[in-house]
Amino acid sequence: MNQEMWDLFIESFWKLIIPGLKMTIPLTVTAFFFAMIIAVLVAMVQYANVPVLKQISRFYIWIIRGTPLLVQLLIGFYGLNNIGIHINAFPAAVLIFSLNEGAYCAETMRAALEAVPSGQMEAGYCVGMNYAQIMWHIVLPQAFRTAFPPLSNSLIGMVKDTSLAANITYAEMLYAAQRIVGRTYKFMLIYCEVALIYLMFSTVLTWVQRYGEKRLNAYGGNKG
Amino acid sequence: MSMLEIRNIHKAFDQNEILKGVSITVEKGDVVAILGPSGSGKTTLLRCINYLEKADQGELIFDGRSYDLANTPKKDIAAIRMKTGFVFQNYNLFKNKTALENVTIGLTSVRKIPASEAKKIGLKMLERVGMLARADHFPAQLSGGQQQRVAIARALAYDPEIIYFDEPTSALDPELIGEVLGVMRALAEEGMTMIVVTHEMDFARNVSSHVIFMEDGVIVEEGTSKEIFENPKKERTREFLRLEENRRNVQ
Repeated sequence: MNQEMWDLFIESFWKLIIPGLKMTIPLTVTAFFFAMIIAVLVAMVQYANVPVLKQISRFYIWIIRGTPLLVQLLIGFYGLNNIGIHINAFPAAVLIFSLNEGAYCAETMRAALEAVPSGQMEAGYCVGMNYAQIMWHIVLPQAFRTAFPPLSNSLIGMVKDTSLAANITYAEMLYAAQRIVGRTYKFMLIYCEVALIYLMFSTVLTWVQRYGEKRLNAYGGNKG
Repeated sequence: MSMLEIRNIHKAFDQNEILKGVSITVEKGDVVAILGPSGSGKTTLLRCINYLEKADQGELIFDGRSYDLANTPKKDIAAIRMKTGFVFQNYNLFKNKTALENVTIGLTSVRKIPASEAKKIGLKMLERVGMLARADHFPAQLSGGQQQRVAIARALAYDPEIIYFDEPTSALDPELIGEVLGVMRALAEEGMTMIVVTHEMDFARNVSSHVIFMEDGVIVEEGTSKEIFENPKKERTREFLRLEENRRNVQ
């Protein structure tokens, strides 16, 4: 790498990492937060077999899983704009990413809830707890333990998927990279550089996951 | 008046009739052992009287009140459960809670007893079952026998009027059975009222005051443990006891 390339690399690094910290991370965190709420609610509705709501949940998951995320983003931003609903790129991205991630994580949570042995629920009833108390104190914490690794997986996946938001004018990292490329035509350098920064973010999350799993393992997982 | 009475309980799963009209009476301080071959309905009986299964028909008289087992309001069920303890075959300790928390969670979350007071009760109960030293251990860190003792402590936490045991030693390694039976024997000696579904013939013979032999969803024979073990009247009872005796000798 010659001096000119190296200079561009350094200069671009800041131009990429700043949108990374200011745009990619907030979008990921906000959307994942709402995705978790959606996931738990949608999973519980199915676990508890609530009529109507359960059918709505299945329908929602069917739609989201059956259509591409990029298309959902385009509908959520340009499509809505077309029918008179004008929302900015950030809320549009949060909306679509939450809904999308929520559907996948709901399935993860549902599987984790169903993996909690029915005896846990029965033991809860036997000490006089009601359904909500058992869910809150016993079943959800255990399900969350089971779901933690796949949910971390989803989060790491989502950090990278936010690059799709470049398509709806959300100025995150890839968007910034494309602007640099448009000016310099250094495709290889800049795209590899942005890939490197995504890798950094993912690596940090992997560490967080490892730490989280260690803490949750305090009670020996769900063994015994 | 008896402390607990079950009248004419019926339960079927699909077309399969598991309980065909069983009635039992339990006096305060009784230790009732329910014996019978697999599929006789003894576990279902226990589960029905604590509403883990819904009986199709039957009456529960408990604590001076009568309840329709097929149709008891949720509020009453919760109230009944707080006066009864249930010990499961496979312990069913809350896996995400320590031994102590397993005992106290009902006290704090249902009874709303302050944490410090609940802890005091919890430690006392763990001491009763010899598990005080393991108060901070999670179930996965305990042996089966230890888990079952914690489960008994959990059942004791509410100071119940009666405790139901559903084959409490069936899932245990042979060398761990003794410690659990020891705790149960001590409870019996303290005057705790208990219904015990079991295959432990020695326990039934030596500890229980009353023995019920069930088969195919009906009570074949019942009486004091002396009557049943020394002078069973029904041929089927004799045969069952002989088989159990052989099984034990083989072991």
